[in-house]
Amino acid sequence: MRSESGHEMIEVRNVTKIHQSGETEVHALQGVCCQFPGQAFSFILGPSGSGKSTLLYLMGALDLPSSGEIYVQNRALSTLNQTERDTYRREKVGFVFQNFNLLRNLNALENVLAPFLPQGISIEQKQRAEDLLKQVGLGHRILHRPNQLSGGEQQRVAIARALLKRPLLILADEPTGELDTQTGAEIFQCLREMSEQYQTTVVIVTHDERYIRESDFILRLRDGKIAEDNAINL
Amino acid sequence: MLKFALRNLLSRSLRSFLCLMGLTIAIAGMVGLFSIAGGLEETVSQTFGKITGIVAMQPGAPIPLFSRIPRSWGKEISQIPGVAIVNPEIWSRVNIIEGKPVISPPRFLFGTELPSRLQLKKGIYRDAIYAGRFLSLQDQGTLNAVISRQIAEQHHKQVGDTIDINGQEMTVVGLYECGSLLLDIAIILDIEVVREITRFDSESVSCFYIEQTGDVKNELLVNQIKDHFRDRELASWQPASLALASASQSNLLKDLMNTIDQTLKGTPTQRPEEQPDSAVRKIPNQTGKMNAKTVKPAQAESALEVRSAADWGDRLETFTADLDIFLGLMTGIGVLIAMLSIINTMLMSVMERIVDFGILKANGWSNRDVMLLITAESSLLGILGGVLGGILGLVAIFIVNWKFANQVHLYASPGLLLFGLVFSTFLGISGGLYPAWWTTRMTPIDAIRRG
Repeated sequence: MRSESGHEMIEVRNVTKIHQSGETEVHALQGVCCQFPGQAFSFILGPSGSGKSTLLYLMGALDLPSSGEIYVQNRALSTLNQTERDTYRREKVGFVFQNFNLLRNLNALENVLAPFLPQGISIEQKQRAEDLLKQVGLGHRILHRPNQLSGGEQQRVAIARALLKRPLLILADEPTGELDTQTGAEIFQCLREMSEQYQTTVVIVTHDERYIRESDFILRLRDGKIAEDNAINL
Repeated sequence: MLKFALRNLLSRSLRSFLCLMGLTIAIAGMVGLFSIAGGLEETVSQTFGKITGIVAMQPGAPIPLFSRIPRSWGKEISQIPGVAIVNPEIWSRVNIIEGKPVISPPRFLFGTELPSRLQLKKGIYRDAIYAGRFLSLQDQGTLNAVISRQIAEQHHKQVGDTIDINGQEMTVVGLYECGSLLLDIAIILDIEVVREITRFDSESVSCFYIEQTGDVKNELLVNQIKDHFRDRELASWQPASLALASASQSNLLKDLMNTIDQTLKGTPTQRPEEQPDSAVRKIPNQTGKMNAKTVKPAQAESALEVRSAADWGDRLETFTADLDIFLGLMTGIGVLIAMLSIINTMLMSVMERIVDFGILKANGWSNRDVMLLITAESSLLGILGGVLGGILGLVAIFIVNWKFANQVHLYASPGLLLFGLVFSTFLGISGGLYPAWWTTRMTPIDAIRRG
């Protein structure tokens, strides 16, 4: 399956990432080159330790590559200074993690608004956050804290948090990893609906191939290298 | 942001509480300790602010109680321009009241010459009478006394009652309250009665209280009185230990006591035999040879020490400034412990929440935002610690002042309380800075992966 959109959102050029573990070097990514199409669903697949999450986090500017370059909308992430990287994460990218990563001292609404707390929350943002929570089916759980929500509900809050900023890109790392099959399917359904509605590019790292559709783009990694992909090769 | 910071603190309520208590007690301790100096300063201002006149007494005597000067000098002082009234006074310590020994707080028999005392435009004790009356000319030669509210309450006396002081039955004719621990210690009687009771030398008094006409400036008047008595013979007051040492011609103890005495008085030690006979005196040069050089003779010291209320106040303020240094050092220990407690609390809290900070950074929080959150948390601890510390300090001061009303007076000024709050906030902010900086060393993903 090849991209039919012809609109490349992310371009990964010869990216390597070496983690230092004590005196041992772990080569998480070894010269990965690929492109991800915009406004589409992409999956990064592969066994544990293949470098899937590492690539995802590099695309989200949560970490820096050891070499190579990642372009998002033709802008090299390495050229961003610290403030620009913070702004990029706050305004362009939404993250959804395997273990939800909600802040336990904040309720659902506040968790959705968390990215904008330092700047101060506008009435419009608060209203949008409430609307998003209603859209993901949590209208009645707005003031509940994470420990009062089920796993699926927490992940919906995380999706709402990612969408509040109207991101170009949603990066999801094993979003259904801690959910049962039915809830996992609901979360994927939710992500697809939101992606369609907000015309957002979604890149998902997963082991679970049950939720992949024919139109999705797939990148398979093994030992830090591309094993197979139907995304656009350089 | 502040709401978020507060929730974070509340989510670790026990640890936050313990840290808060550490800070509260440190600030309360600081307020309490500095209130000693504050109380002293307030007592001084309450006391000397009321005394408009000047006091002449024996040089070197710390207070009139230890002073002895010729009674006849009073007349000479009254002749000096600028002097309106000279009131001779005798002060003596009271040993027994109502059969009970008096140790602390001290009480004094204050004998005052009534005719001149009653002519004073402003009489501290006379103006402070709140029950009965002040002494009048009819009280001369009688055991009629005016006592303070403190003494009256301590011995359950009222106007008209008798009070046994040093074995003498005195009749209380009036009660006064000056509101100062330094003033409300006197039992006021006619001077001749006190002289007789205490067997005070008939030709001496303790001091003279001088009321000015107002025509001459205080400083000038003080100098004029001193100059008038500059050539008189009157031994300086010496501590008892020094008097004992004086018995021998020369020994180590005597030299030591002399040195201490002179240091306290602020004048250099010079033995009588070393006094030059003339204005020409030989002084050694750097090579050790003796050269003749003209030296202006030292001005003879006055046989009277004359002090205005401002002088007394200045001396005590110097003492309280020194006391502040000592109290500051003591407070510093408590404050250091409190600061370490904040750093420890915040560092533990930060290390436990590394993942949270990673999540926040992943969502666009900058390092600065995260640092602000952490310092906001520690600042809240600081502000709350300052407020609670101030309140606790005030409560402690109130209890001490109430329980030991006759012995001590502590005072925490609004300035001290404000300083406590500001200092506590500063401690909170600075205690959170290191943990806050610590979080900036990790990338967002390193922080998240720690979870």
